[in-house]
Amino acid sequence: MNLAALMIADSRFPGGGHVHSGGLEEAVARKLVTDERSLRSFLVGRLRTAGALSAVFASAATRGRYAELDAEFDARTPSPAQRNASRVQGRGIARAAKRAWPSPVLTELLRVTPRPHHPVIVGALVGDPFEAAQTVAYHAVTGPATGAIRLLGLDPFGVNAILAHLAPEIDAVAATAADHADTAPEDLPAPSAPGLDLLAEAHDRHHSEEVRLFVS
Amino acid sequence: MAPLRLVPHRGRSRQSAGGPDEAALVHLVSSITAPLGGDDLELHIRVGPGAALELRGVAATLALPGQHPGGSRALVEVELAEGASLEYLPEPTVITSRACHEAVFRARIAEDARLRTREILVLGRLNERAGLLSTTLDVRRNGPVIKQTSHLGTPEVDRSPAGLVGRRVLGTELLCWGEDLPGAVSEDWWSLVPLARGGSLTTAVADDAVTVERALNVARSKHPGSAALLTRSRTRFRAPDHTESHGSGGGHHRAGGFASGGKPVPSLDR
Repeated sequence: MNLAALMIADSRFPGGGHVHSGGLEEAVARKLVTDERSLRSFLVGRLRTAGALSAVFASAATRGRYAELDAEFDARTPSPAQRNASRVQGRGIARAAKRAWPSPVLTELLRVTPRPHHPVIVGALVGDPFEAAQTVAYHAVTGPATGAIRLLGLDPFGVNAILAHLAPEIDAVAATAADHADTAPEDLPAPSAPGLDLLAEAHDRHHSEEVRLFVS
Repeated sequence: MAPLRLVPHRGRSRQSAGGPDEAALVHLVSSITAPLGGDDLELHIRVGPGAALELRGVAATLALPGQHPGGSRALVEVELAEGASLEYLPEPTVITSRACHEAVFRARIAEDARLRTREILVLGRLNERAGLLSTTLDVRRNGPVIKQTSHLGTPEVDRSPAGLVGRRVLGTELLCWGEDLPGAVSEDWWSLVPLARGGSLTTAVADDAVTVERALNVARSKHPGSAALLTRSRTRFRAPDHTESHGSGGGHHRAGGFASGGKPVPSLDR
């Protein structure tokens, strides 16, 4: 795996991803996730829905076409809270990448979309369809997983094992996504995540009314 | 035997029939059990400039397995011309055990056309495990408005808080109906959200279809276009006796309707 992918996937990467829980905080607030078992269910569902969508777009972004991908990702993300979370994280990565990996590709991406969606900029930076997909698929579960440790006080070793055991599923999602690298943007798959959409909007509503640990 | 009949609503004649805000009402009536495994159903709808059409289901659809392998497919393809409007309101679809159904709703609409489409999906009959369903909502208006595919019937995702949160019924309603709200409105189990490039989507989950329908109605009442939707009267129009879609049993069925502005709106088979 190339170093850019490893760095972006690292929770210490200064892209601002650590303030997002991917809907987990709201799920915890509603007691939908209370333990390792329910966390695993959350993560599997997230991986196969929002994770699969991100993976497809990261893979496709290795081939450019940034403006079209931006519009198509918007159309596949009905929740404004989720669109915003994706752009905020994309912007955070852009800030770090401008110093770390300046390139004509990055310049072009930010010219077309100054606030790129998260999977699109990851795809542009990583370059390889499978590795880009794998990076964002992993990101789709690792944020909520570490969030669960902080919100529920779950055993870090147990949560880490859940992530490790998801490896074959993450790779399967990434492999499917990599097959779509050359698919026309409008024909890219569009897996929905009704639960995450509802959790994201509710989180957004509560975030303005009460103290929450995470932005999303 | 045709799987679907398009039945124009023919009531008493009205003095003001054909006014600009009145929609032709056509009921979608299943005349045989469909979709069964092996079925390929297509419905093509074109609404001409300035015309308004309301297509309503009359009964729930049961997606069932058949003797043919490979599952069943249903495609609804919509074209809306300038100033046209369509409300497509089928009754719920129930995914019975061992069914494998793929539904696609694809619409290409003019800039000022109006579209409302509702879908309610039920995972199995009471105490029945659901079969597999994938359903796609794909609407473009000078670029993408929405595209999403829901894959239902996989217990790991259905049970997950990311998927159906363990609920049995999923409802969605798309409104491209003039202005949208600037921000989202939501309760715990439904949300009405403005899409990125115009249009609004309501998503609701519940354990029964009645609750989902109620949530969709509450959400719609918050939408700026709801007044037009709720008060508009229906035009009765003259047409030949009900039209039937063509089809040959167990094979590939197509039905079509065409509405054009200012004239009675016959359904034409295509």
